[in-house]
Amino acid sequence: MPRSMRLNRLLLVLVMVVGLLALAACAQQPTAAPEPTPTPKEEAPAPAPAQPKPEERVSKYNEAPMLKELVEKGELPPVDERLPEEPLVIDVVEEIGQYGGTLRRGFLGPSDHNNYTRVVYDALVRFSPDGTEVIPHIAKGWESNEDFTVWKVFLRKGLKWSDGHPFTADDIMFWYEYILLNKDLTPSVPIWMQNQDGSVAKVEKLDDYTVQWTFKQPNTAFLLELANKDGADKSIHNLAFVPAHYMKQFHPAFVDEAELQAKVEEAGFDTWTELFAVKAMPHLNPERPSTAAWIPDNSSVSDQVFVLKRNPYYFAVDPEGNQLPYIDYVRFTFFADKEALNLAAVAGEIDMQGRHINMSNYPVLVENQEKGGYRVVTWPTFGGSDAVLMFNQTYVAKDPAVGELLRNRDFRIALSYAIDREKIKELAFLGLGEPRQGVPAPNHPYYPGDEWAYKYTEHDPDKANEMLDSIGLTERDEEGFRLLPNGERLDLEISVVPAFANWTDVGQIVVENWADVGIRAHVEIRERALHFQMRNTNDLMIEIWNEDTTGFPFSGQPKMDPRSDPALTFGPLYRKWYQTNGAEGMEPPPEVKKLVEIIDEAKVSGRERQIELAQELFRHWVDNLWEIGTVGLTPMIQGVIVVNQDLHNVPETAGNDWPLRTPGNTRPEQYFFKR
Amino acid sequence: MLQYIVKRLLLLPFLLFIFSVFAFFIIQAPPGDFVTSYVAELAASGSSMDQAQIDALRQMYGLDQPMYVQYLKWIGRILRGDLGVSLDWQRPNLELIKERLLLTVMLGAFTFGFTWALAIPIGILSATRQYSFLDYFFTVFNYIGVATPTFMTALVLMWLAFKYFGISITGLFSPEYVDAPWSWGRVVDLLKHMWLPAVILGMDGTARLARIMRANLLDELNKPYVEMARAKGMPEWKLVLRYPVRLAINPLISTIGWYLPLLFSGSVIVATVLNLPTIGPMLLRSLTNQDMFLAGAIVLIYCLLAIIGTLISDILLAWLDPRIRMEGS
Repeated sequence: MPRSMRLNRLLLVLVMVVGLLALAACAQQPTAAPEPTPTPKEEAPAPAPAQPKPEERVSKYNEAPMLKELVEKGELPPVDERLPEEPLVIDVVEEIGQYGGTLRRGFLGPSDHNNYTRVVYDALVRFSPDGTEVIPHIAKGWESNEDFTVWKVFLRKGLKWSDGHPFTADDIMFWYEYILLNKDLTPSVPIWMQNQDGSVAKVEKLDDYTVQWTFKQPNTAFLLELANKDGADKSIHNLAFVPAHYMKQFHPAFVDEAELQAKVEEAGFDTWTELFAVKAMPHLNPERPSTAAWIPDNSSVSDQVFVLKRNPYYFAVDPEGNQLPYIDYVRFTFFADKEALNLAAVAGEIDMQGRHINMSNYPVLVENQEKGGYRVVTWPTFGGSDAVLMFNQTYVAKDPAVGELLRNRDFRIALSYAIDREKIKELAFLGLGEPRQGVPAPNHPYYPGDEWAYKYTEHDPDKANEMLDSIGLTERDEEGFRLLPNGERLDLEISVVPAFANWTDVGQIVVENWADVGIRAHVEIRERALHFQMRNTNDLMIEIWNEDTTGFPFSGQPKMDPRSDPALTFGPLYRKWYQTNGAEGMEPPPEVKKLVEIIDEAKVSGRERQIELAQELFRHWVDNLWEIGTVGLTPMIQGVIVVNQDLHNVPETAGNDWPLRTPGNTRPEQYFFKR
Repeated sequence: MLQYIVKRLLLLPFLLFIFSVFAFFIIQAPPGDFVTSYVAELAASGSSMDQAQIDALRQMYGLDQPMYVQYLKWIGRILRGDLGVSLDWQRPNLELIKERLLLTVMLGAFTFGFTWALAIPIGILSATRQYSFLDYFFTVFNYIGVATPTFMTALVLMWLAFKYFGISITGLFSPEYVDAPWSWGRVVDLLKHMWLPAVILGMDGTARLARIMRANLLDELNKPYVEMARAKGMPEWKLVLRYPVRLAINPLISTIGWYLPLLFSGSVIVATVLNLPTIGPMLLRSLTNQDMFLAGAIVLIYCLLAIIGTLISDILLAWLDPRIRMEGS
């Protein structure tokens, strides 16, 4: 592409971004509320009806027309009987909505099951819309003892599954006793349910509506973990409750063996565990009762079109007592190809979606907003960096000469100075985001401060050259590239998977930048599974990926924890060392062990100390520069969102990250179509 | 001839067995397994699993067992007429393939009919009017047809349809018919959507066939028997159609056999781009996901089709060309 054309395009994008920002600013200005009509003074006002107390108001529930019809026909109990005694009241973003409509989304087939998970986000507790705290959901609340070892979770009296069956403590106990403690279903207990000594945490039923978790040590990550136990990843290991009354028919503790075997064979499986795992997931088995706002309507994620309909027993209402959700149906259409999905979005055939919308299509999307009848919203992640260069610290076991260099902190700092981040931002990220290291966003409590966010990020080739000389890389070959200290040729490989964004372009720019300071490098584009396999086998030197778990370093699988899997290629052999308790792999140096110490302390600390520790963790990462951050705070990961013009209550800004199940945390139940 | 066919049929199970071994091991060859690619897929859409979950999955799907055990289990099922369960879709493979096989065959037959109905007349016209305006016109047209990758044509048409008509022309059905049971309305809807992918898929084949037809026919037209017939005063069109065309079409007939499997594999990219619910994209997907039971099942079906296709073209050739028939007996 000629330079001028590229510039023109950049300019165009810039203008559009500015325009969009202006638009967003206008949109955010509240419309002037109509002046209240002054009551004429002389006339004594008729005694206004006493303002009903909030509780009374919510007890007058309203429901969707399609449900009203069923109630009138006698096919469904009245709404007051369907809702729990204390329904969850969900605030609306803009205004009270109207019932009806179908929310159209696109999905990429069965492996895209999290598309469903993210829309319904069905867990005992959930993350708040901005993603910084945990709030009640199915559970109405919780309580812990002083040292955070015992957690009580309180359920809502009268809450029902989508088939009308009551939801009680037994539904959690069934999960605990018959799924988690069943060796066939759960060969190894997930980390969040383990005590530090490896034993399993205790779960007890105190009464029908109270369940108690007991850990052997303080556990302050409990709620953060519980907020993700929603069956995501199509995995029963990500559950904390199931409809016991339904699942019993697939469990050998409750059914005769021969009978169960017949069911297994009929479904074409080998073992009952396979059958159970499929039957336990609402998006694989439409018959399975659910507590989500929408439940599968006779279709599954394996179909060409996956349709969800409203759950008549959904336990939440808006502040005026209208049972949620507002929207009748959610319809996922299968696309074999991501680009076809993007084209459908441009054509206005998608009502609300950020998943699989490519950031590189942002200009095209904005260009066609009016024609397609949608608007584009951006939700950047908290993520530190949207393209980090991660250096394998255990590559030394594979190639001592190169490996030693990758472990050399000054080498990494020099390479960081050599990178022109502004260029990367303009060319690969359409000018969005900012050059920075992989620390959380400034609005996040874990932000360690500007000094660390921008440390080593200036483009300074002279300094880089100086540092490279000072660590002994002075010998050069005939092409001017530096040689390894042992006189051999140095060629760094950057492994890139073409996912999310133009990581290949980022890699190319970095290769050019490094060549300017005499470091030879090349980009290797790999298929995803192969790249992942190579991560595990310690075969990657440097990789480009994103750092999207920075908002959650103490729960789930944070990338900055050397024990995480899948982790970036930080230190595959360190991970092995931790996994095997030191029997295999490589023992990490003290500065890596410190990461683990910080994370483990945070898991048992109160919120304030947790925040301190998180900041310390990120400072430690930047100081050691095991990864070089390039550009961050872009909407790269599912953050370019197409929203139908008529769809309301979609927030302009929101926390965006996988643990939040975005857009689940923005509560799609209260989205509505304005006609 | 009957003996010949029976012999071929007897060979079939043996061939299929060899193919199955190859198919399974080739599909297993890349590093990692279904769980690796599953985890990779998840990471790329922003989610993660812990090691315990990953191990549990591996164990559940039997991926922790040695390869030959997995193969024996798989082939054992196939012998019982069970193609296994797809790891990716969590549904029986047979069910998944059946759904798409019908559409694939329909689309293929449609494309095939379109290709032949167009290519043979064009070939005949070009050959009998060699170096005329029409010949040159079709030559240029054919070159373009052969040279343009079909997925490119598909993309361009998709873009044009969107730009000028504001519609996306993907899929084979309107939304209301996608998962509907078969009905008259659904068939009509299918036909409404089918012609475009058929044209796109057929373009390359039409051009190729027309060129082959032209060349073959040109060879025949100068042969003495044509001169002879012409000298005897046979009307030109009757002459051409009765003798040289029949001979020139022989090599085309012999490729029908290849056409059958090509019909499934040749359209993979186009079908992916156009979001067609045919079997090609499913194979591609199962290969990238290392869903080996599904991929293996599809590859086996391909093999079966290739064998049947070859058989068909042999029979056709024997019926069409007396020389082959003589050899056979």
